[in-house]
Amino acid sequence: MNTIDWVILFTTLILIVAYGTWKSRGSKNIDGYLLGNKSLPWWNVCLSIMATQASAITFLSTPGQAYEDGMRFLQFYFGLPLAMVILSITAVPLYHRLKVYTAYEYLESRFDLKTRSLAAFLFLMLRGLSVGITIYAPSLILSTMLDWNINITTIFIGTLVMIYTVSGGTKAVSMTQKYQLTIIMGGMFIAGWIAFSKLPDNITFTEAFQVAGEMGKLNLINLSFDLSDRYNIWSGLIGGLFLFLSYFGADQSQVGRYLGGSSIAQSRLGLIFNGLLKVPMQFVILYIGILVFVFYQFNQAPVFHNQSLKDKAMQTEYAGDIATLESEYDEVFIEKRKEAVNMVKAMRQDNSALVEQTRVSIEKIQDVEKGIRAEVKEKISAAIPGANTLDKDYVFITFVMTYLPHGLIGLLLAVVFSAAMASTASELNALASTTAVDIYKRSIKPSENDYHYVKASKWFTAGWAVFGMMFASIANQAENLIQFVNIIGSLFYGTILGIFLTAFYLKYIKSNAVFIAAIIAQAVILYCYFFTEMAFLLYNIIGCLVVVMVAYIIQYIENQGIKKRLSQK
Amino acid sequence: MSEEQEEKPPVFSRWSTWYWLLMIVLAVQILIYLFITNSF
Repeated sequence: MNTIDWVILFTTLILIVAYGTWKSRGSKNIDGYLLGNKSLPWWNVCLSIMATQASAITFLSTPGQAYEDGMRFLQFYFGLPLAMVILSITAVPLYHRLKVYTAYEYLESRFDLKTRSLAAFLFLMLRGLSVGITIYAPSLILSTMLDWNINITTIFIGTLVMIYTVSGGTKAVSMTQKYQLTIIMGGMFIAGWIAFSKLPDNITFTEAFQVAGEMGKLNLINLSFDLSDRYNIWSGLIGGLFLFLSYFGADQSQVGRYLGGSSIAQSRLGLIFNGLLKVPMQFVILYIGILVFVFYQFNQAPVFHNQSLKDKAMQTEYAGDIATLESEYDEVFIEKRKEAVNMVKAMRQDNSALVEQTRVSIEKIQDVEKGIRAEVKEKISAAIPGANTLDKDYVFITFVMTYLPHGLIGLLLAVVFSAAMASTASELNALASTTAVDIYKRSIKPSENDYHYVKASKWFTAGWAVFGMMFASIANQAENLIQFVNIIGSLFYGTILGIFLTAFYLKYIKSNAVFIAAIIAQAVILYCYFFTEMAFLLYNIIGCLVVVMVAYIIQYIENQGIKKRLSQK
Repeated sequence: MSEEQEEKPPVFSRWSTWYWLLMIVLAVQILIYLFITNSF
């Protein structure tokens, strides 16, 4: 990092904050503050939805995922376009016509206050905790790369977001997100282009593609039906559909984005274009990881991608061991590069036998490399007890910091900070909306004026931001909290989705039935959590199904009872 | 503006055309990805 990088990074971030604050000034009524006066065109709705979903960790982790595991992760998103169609038909017109501020408000008109409050409470639990992780995860990586204290990085990101989100509400969030996403995608394309342009011997785009394919990285589709395999086309289409229905239909951080659309048509188009663009966007991000992988077939990769952690280990008695392993790794690479160059030559000669021969050689060399890397990780673990030696998330950012020219390093860091800010802003805005509308206005202070509710919403936004920063600081001390938050999410998402699916599609079921079913579903999930070994991702489907089925049974029994009483009269 | 006017989609005369377009684009993408997986 040099002065140009710092100037670009800070100028970008300050301009975003200043723009968001200035552009959304004067939101004095609750409609303006929580819904942005319903003024957004479809393209802004679409960009806002995409920026909310793509957190900083998406841009840090996804290229690393492709680098290590190939492109099969893409299948995870195949259910998203299906969810966009279903929600465009059902949720969008419903929410717009009822003129709701939050998704949970709809539940009161469909069921009753207690069901609305229950869903709002469950949402606040899971989103409140996850906002801390949305800030913490990129803070951890950025603080390592920039050599900042993690608490300073956390406070830096949290405070920047808080300034414009508190000041301008939904409008500030959406207005800034369109520029944040532009910076993000522009920066990612540049990084991909540089990885490609630094390949030797004028390797063409198609040849880079072929090399990746030969090395098994273009494993985009897996047609086999295997429930234990997280990434195949069926888990993507079916599991993804459930996940994205709940995320886009029942999570206020996304519902709040398309409720800001100027009409039903604009919100629908925003969702439809999100469905059209999301899968190709993920393809591009994953392919950048593949380009980095191909780049490292011809250029020396670091033996361990978290350079800062390795440097710390080099200060210990294990420095000699690590240095020896590193020089072994360098020697192995010379062999690998030779074989990779031969592979490209064989491809140009159309010599498939030689291509196969070089592929086998490279795979053998990669196995040796993996062994050396595993040993290095063991040494680092021994040198720094408790250190996290998973370095997948550092692959892309280390590449950026090492190989991109100055100026672009600043831009790419701005990309990561922008992504962190964009998703955090939506989450804070959603938490504040739900606290203000579903709890405060509905049940605590129902008859105040607009000015009072805007002021309260601002305080709630600031309060959730501070909570997020505090939680991120605790997460720093207890690594397991990330796992804990993932479990918390799975504990409640299924029940919330079940309530909404019942509301949308099962008109037969009334309020008491769904409320009791939701309580029972939550109890069943808690039982599964405490007394079974079930994978926690399954809680989402179980919770949803229990709500729907139990609610149906209760309603049936209730209706039979009513019929009996009527016939007795 | 009435709800009927608001509901009218741009470009196509019916919303279902947009939904079909989205499904077709997804299907075409899956076919392309399948081709890439099997060809490279």
